[in-house]
Amino acid sequence: MATTLKETDVVIIGLGAVGGVAALPLTQAGIEVVGLEAGTWLTRRDFAPDELRNNYRGWPQGVQKANQEIPTSRATASSPTAPRGTIHPMQNAVGGTSLHYWAQSWRLNPWDFKVVSETTRRYGAGRIPKGSTVEDWPFGLEEIEPYYDKVEYEVGVSGQAGNIDGKIDPRGNKFEGPRKRAYPMPPLRGNEFLDKMAGAARSLGWHPFPGPAAVNSRSYQNRSACMYHGFCNRGGCHVDAKNSTAVTTIPRAQATGKLKVVTSAHVTTIEVGSDGLPSGVNYLTDGVEYFQPAKVVLLAGYTYENVRLLLLSTSKAFPDGLSNNHHQVGRHYFSHHQGAGVSALFPFNINAWYGLPAQGIAVDNWADDNFDHGTLDFIGGGNLWVYSDRRPIGAAGMNTFGRVPNWGSQWKAFIKENADRSNTSYIQKSTLPYEDNFLDLDPVVKDPLGYPVCRVTAEYKENERRIAAYTQDKMEQWYREAGAIAVQRGPVGGAMGVSTHAYGGTRMGDNPETNVVNRWGFSHEAPNLGVLGASVMGTSGAHNPTLTAQALAWRTAERLVKNFNGIARRRS
Amino acid sequence: MTFISRRDLLKRAAVVGVAPVAGTFQSRDDRGAESPALHEPGVARPFQGRDRAREPLENLTAGEMDILDAVVARLIPTDANGPGATEARAAHYIDRALGGALASSRPAYTSGLAALDRYARSSRGAAFTQLSATDQNSVLIDVETGAATGFTGSSAAFFALLLNHTHQGTFGDPYYGGNANFVGWDLISYPGVRTMVTAADQQQLEKHALKPNHKSAYETDMFTKATARLEDESLPRLDARDSDAKAEV
Amino acid sequence: MSRWPVAFLCVGLLGARAAAQTPQTITVESPTLKADQPIPRDYTADGRNVSPPLTWAGVPAAAKQLAVVLQDPDAGNPPPFVHWVIYKIPPTAKGLPENVPFEPDTPMPPEIAGAIQGVSGFRRPIYRGPAPPPGKVHHYHFVVYALDAALDLKPGLNRVELLEAIKGHVVGQGELVATYERKP
Repeated sequence: MATTLKETDVVIIGLGAVGGVAALPLTQAGIEVVGLEAGTWLTRRDFAPDELRNNYRGWPQGVQKANQEIPTSRATASSPTAPRGTIHPMQNAVGGTSLHYWAQSWRLNPWDFKVVSETTRRYGAGRIPKGSTVEDWPFGLEEIEPYYDKVEYEVGVSGQAGNIDGKIDPRGNKFEGPRKRAYPMPPLRGNEFLDKMAGAARSLGWHPFPGPAAVNSRSYQNRSACMYHGFCNRGGCHVDAKNSTAVTTIPRAQATGKLKVVTSAHVTTIEVGSDGLPSGVNYLTDGVEYFQPAKVVLLAGYTYENVRLLLLSTSKAFPDGLSNNHHQVGRHYFSHHQGAGVSALFPFNINAWYGLPAQGIAVDNWADDNFDHGTLDFIGGGNLWVYSDRRPIGAAGMNTFGRVPNWGSQWKAFIKENADRSNTSYIQKSTLPYEDNFLDLDPVVKDPLGYPVCRVTAEYKENERRIAAYTQDKMEQWYREAGAIAVQRGPVGGAMGVSTHAYGGTRMGDNPETNVVNRWGFSHEAPNLGVLGASVMGTSGAHNPTLTAQALAWRTAERLVKNFNGIARRRS
Repeated sequence: MTFISRRDLLKRAAVVGVAPVAGTFQSRDDRGAESPALHEPGVARPFQGRDRAREPLENLTAGEMDILDAVVARLIPTDANGPGATEARAAHYIDRALGGALASSRPAYTSGLAALDRYARSSRGAAFTQLSATDQNSVLIDVETGAATGFTGSSAAFFALLLNHTHQGTFGDPYYGGNANFVGWDLISYPGVRTMVTAADQQQLEKHALKPNHKSAYETDMFTKATARLEDESLPRLDARDSDAKAEV
Repeated sequence: MSRWPVAFLCVGLLGARAAAQTPQTITVESPTLKADQPIPRDYTADGRNVSPPLTWAGVPAAAKQLAVVLQDPDAGNPPPFVHWVIYKIPPTAKGLPENVPFEPDTPMPPEIAGAIQGVSGFRRPIYRGPAPPPGKVHHYHFVVYALDAALDLKPGLNRVELLEAIKGHVVGQGELVATYERKP
């Protein structure tokens, strides 16, 4: 028998990158918030510069709740299920994955909000890829700009602006949408190799610039600047310079006295009252059941868990899952196409032993619709990113570019000379939703509590594979201009699989027939249910989702602050 | 009472694993392939076992450890380019880890090492540890490519596991028992774990002037030492960002 | 002087070119392999996995360089699965000795000095003998090519790249086919 707790105004499921952001405007406005987090608090003492533990033993995900619920995946509805991974992409902790992610912190391009209308205008409606269910977002960049700004300052993002109110600054990204003001901090420092790559890009007539990061480039809000120690890739920050919600918005929300953080809270279902509206959340802590009643439920558990919880929360009002009467939950899913990278071997040391993945040089000339696709056979593009990041075990496992076997004396001579001479680029590509790609509940595999896990059915389609091939060409060109003596490319993409950048499943849009949440992030069918995270995003653009998801979360929370009585469930 | 610093403890632990004879890795020259005069293809040569007191085993049997020792010595050999997995004590790392984070691989080692030795005997006519370095290399190539018989599943999967763990044991933080005396980090010129890297440090590195500091992450009490008992698959790759582009050859 | 001798000369030259397009047959044999017979264990992954000795005859006098490929048409995706690629063999070689070195520091035997091993289906530039999935007889073709020029072939060529590079230069060709099967 579950213990029923005192009702709160808002319960947030998940205190990660987006749940952790939403808590702040709510509590600052005096709204009572209970944050249910499956993980625990981790601190800087828990973030040793230990490659073995961080990068090879999947710590701390390996001992966490999410690891019991890793989704299954298959390419199409008629494909066999792939072997399940052993580490969930997301971390359960206060702060969630914002504790250890790469912390690149991008705004989307204006085109990303208007893919349908802009593609139609520029190239004709026939250029929308067949089978895609893409829609324009219900608003454009101008609507979300103030929230990007809010999060950048509140959380702390370092970067170089390229377009302030229409005035282009060539030191930044000339393709970005207009922004009101500069970043709160200058970009992370460069280094010799990054300077060389920037020079090579300029030789090609491109427009390189340092990328934005939710990492302190100098002391900010009484937290240290980045130490560039080289363990930022899947590691937390030992000096709190990586601006997770655990060291920024959550403590500030707690300081208002209005946020109650409940850790080790394993949420199972969302309860629906007899009035057909969500009435609260069921969860377990140490095996003991609790029911947390709330006037508003905000779902912020990452895309897979957001969808899973909705599908598991059936009731008379919602027999196919909460907010799923239109059968849109799980639809319009996609894993961001961020693979198909390019690696290069240089005849000199890169000196990448120190640095971080967010310390790098970007080229956006080939991203989204920043270039003319008139004679091409795809839409969208990719952000080319080179960065400074290397650790010993990873270096030992480096690609030998076909020059030597992977072990033995020849290998040893090769690694002695070349351990610090390779560089792998990261190419995030515009990805769209398709009819065939979706999330649902696995019919067989269950978590230890007996609940079905999420199942991913998705593959990269022709459009995205063509983007991959095109951007690989550009990346190879860039590397060779900088002096690379060998280049290798990954495959252009097959099954999507379980991803760190998962989008859709609870898409946001004005049309309730094709979208789960409205333009403010609240469910069309259950108005006091809000969804936070990239599961509401209908396109990815060529940049990672975190800042956008955080900006949307702030916006949803602010909407709730301004309209609390209109949105909240009233007790009958 | 003499105070023994943690660093000294680490150093002593590492020294126990190395032969007491000076010029250790020179005495292993004839196991490598770098000296053609000593190298006669096809001639079986007895295994140059450890010239030192056997260190305490934690999870492997003595027989398994002998085979593993011989395998890692071929994967990252001691040769003209300096010390290898033997001096790094990679096998000791694996032995220790099999009782902890790599516990789920214990069955794979039990069956894999036995299969490897059986295959060596049936195909090359002697126990793996008794074969010449050349024949050991030939056996390992067949295990690596999946041509070897007698393994549960493909021998290639076991080989990949061995190689990954040997890398961990050679290039991981010495706290875990491998990379003894920072032999692995020195091979690849990794200047070491630092909690702060200034712009001046980076410039020193770029001038090839940053000296290795030979520090473990756990030199001090700065960090907690939580570890996870976790399935250790070959190099978990959640997303392609972390992997080199692997060419389809 | 009549036109006829000139015409004959032209025909003669044409004839010589035509001869180059139909390679002369080389006979390939071995002291230890028999055509259509099982390959001895020591040349396979069930034994020492060393390369077998080969001998050949009928190499055209015009040959300046030789190459050998070992392939299994009963395997590979697509077939054939390639077990060995070795090229830049001097034209004076009468065959290949047993146990061509697989370790890079070991020099080639003098009779095949200068020979380079290309990349096989096992992704290594060495000989790796039969290791077929059990239950079916596989056929192993030791194919010898004689080339009319000492081609400057780069290291690391696979079979497809080698065949592309020697196209138009093959003046002699022959093969020895032997079998191997692993019992289930």
